[in-house]
Amino acid sequence: MEYLCHVKHLQDLQEGKKIVLTIRDLTPGKRKYLARVARVEVSRKPEALAQWDKLWAHSVVGYKDSQPWGMKVGEELGLLVPGKPYDDIYQALAKM
Amino acid sequence: MSTTGNAIATKTTEVTRDQRSFVERLQKTGDVKIVDKQVDWDLELGAISRRMTEIDGPAIVFKNIKDYPGQSIFVNPISTWRRAAVTLGLPAHASIRNIYDEYIRRDSNPIPPKEVKDAVCRDVIIRGKDVDVTELATPLIHAGDGGRYLGTWCIVVSKDPDTGWMNWGTYRFMLHNTQYLSGWPFAPSHLGRMLREKYLPQNKPMPVAIVIGADQSSHLASTSSTRVGRDEAMLAGGLAGFPIEITKCLDSDLTFPANAEVVLEGEILPDKIAMEGPYGEYPGYRSGEMGAGILMKVNTICHKKNPILSMDCTGYKDCSSTVTALGGGVAIRRSLERAGVPVTGVYVPSEGAVHLCIVGVPKGGKEITQKVLDTLTGHRTYMTKILVVEDDVDIFNLGEVIHAWATRCHSGLAKLGGDMSHTHFQEKLGADMRSTNFQELEGSRGGTHIKYVEGSAQQLTPCYDQEERPRRAGAVAAFDVSFPPAWDPTEVPIKARFNCMYPEEIQKKVLDNWTAYGL
Repeated sequence: MEYLCHVKHLQDLQEGKKIVLTIRDLTPGKRKYLARVARVEVSRKPEALAQWDKLWAHSVVGYKDSQPWGMKVGEELGLLVPGKPYDDIYQALAKM
Repeated sequence: MSTTGNAIATKTTEVTRDQRSFVERLQKTGDVKIVDKQVDWDLELGAISRRMTEIDGPAIVFKNIKDYPGQSIFVNPISTWRRAAVTLGLPAHASIRNIYDEYIRRDSNPIPPKEVKDAVCRDVIIRGKDVDVTELATPLIHAGDGGRYLGTWCIVVSKDPDTGWMNWGTYRFMLHNTQYLSGWPFAPSHLGRMLREKYLPQNKPMPVAIVIGADQSSHLASTSSTRVGRDEAMLAGGLAGFPIEITKCLDSDLTFPANAEVVLEGEILPDKIAMEGPYGEYPGYRSGEMGAGILMKVNTICHKKNPILSMDCTGYKDCSSTVTALGGGVAIRRSLERAGVPVTGVYVPSEGAVHLCIVGVPKGGKEITQKVLDTLTGHRTYMTKILVVEDDVDIFNLGEVIHAWATRCHSGLAKLGGDMSHTHFQEKLGADMRSTNFQELEGSRGGTHIKYVEGSAQQLTPCYDQEERPRRAGAVAAFDVSFPPAWDPTEVPIKARFNCMYPEEIQKKVLDNWTAYGL
């Protein structure tokens, strides 16, 4: 499976940390790009890339990281994030 | 191409009553192409549309979209002045000045809508758990966007629960999941203020409807920069010249144009959010304003059989910047008139992406430039560059305006003002500039008048950094594009132009004999 995500800073993606991301499914078809929220682990190691899902990270302006990450979903957190309209989504994700 | 000059007023024809008849009208004027070849909604459709916009080409109807048989998308309805003219029932070649004049005339004569019982969009009704927004053809418009944008050329309907005012606005919405859309109406927008002031304090969901593929008068009214409380349905009627038929939603008392192709009904949730953006927007950039949007739960979808959805392929010279040039320009003119500025015209060229405003005045100078600047820096400060131009310059002719700006505005004269208390601005100015401690401009001469704002700037403005955007902090520069009023009139430079440097009899002789010269 392949996914994409957008992050505030590309350096926020770090190996060895569990982070909450909004991930979008890249499976071709009508439902491509639909989103869900998950706690994930990411890695640049070749074995992770081979065994886990592939994650393409994009920056805050949509710049696509040239190399994909290996991603392992640790916990599915549903579709929505608790918060009020216009709250900072990154802070809200970090609280989950 | 539309001309920029003072064309003779042209006769209008009846304005079209729905999107399909508008497409037919555009076919007659040569301003739309029909694409029957299959295109992929995943970037291909967006790439074609973006290129067409950038070459000032016609609108497009895509009739064969991968995964979505039977559905079509009408792209870039009003991203040229020709199509703006056709929208108002003017000949496609009408001048920009004619289009402005006609818009102002109709804007001044609103016509109340007529409520009808049913809507043509109810061939298909999907409700509750059966709702799946991915069943509507929704493109990924630009590579790198946060998601697929369904709401681009749309009318978002909301209602003030206290006053009953029904707001029609155009705000972006993207697919989050099958029953949810995330959106980003600018927080100080009418919808944003209504949500924050009237619904969130009670923790109540706000009913909304997203309307796609309506008549262009309604879309044009929806994009206008009207004051709070003004009925956009009445404005749409005024622009059309006849009452717009409206009808009630199935789940709420919100009303929308009954001729629309697709309507999504739902509510903005007060206690849930989702990722929104980033998105390539009307300033011509994807600026990274993502991360602070709103979330809509879709409860009902209604659409015509084989619907034609509408889309603005946003970016440089898109529909947003063209129609805002029109409605926004007129709104700015009214604001200036209310403030007592003797304005002779306002032009917001689409090339300036709703950041550049040209204000025509009989006589320039320091006082009037400052007054224009102060008037246009209110609770929503969208313009970042304002050129105050004397009326010997045709404000609709960008070549003339740039020539005047480059040659008449003294680069060494500047005035700083506004909210400069934030240390960020102090840092931006730098030690050298701070130490100069800009003084009041001497005499009546204007220059570059800069005003810093906090809390009202447009977050999409590409030159603002990631620290400024959340605070809606920014600055506006107004340029006095005139020679000093105090200069001796006999010493003011004379334009080296055909109509200024030759006696009238020589001009007439040259013009009369132009073809005889073999030219």
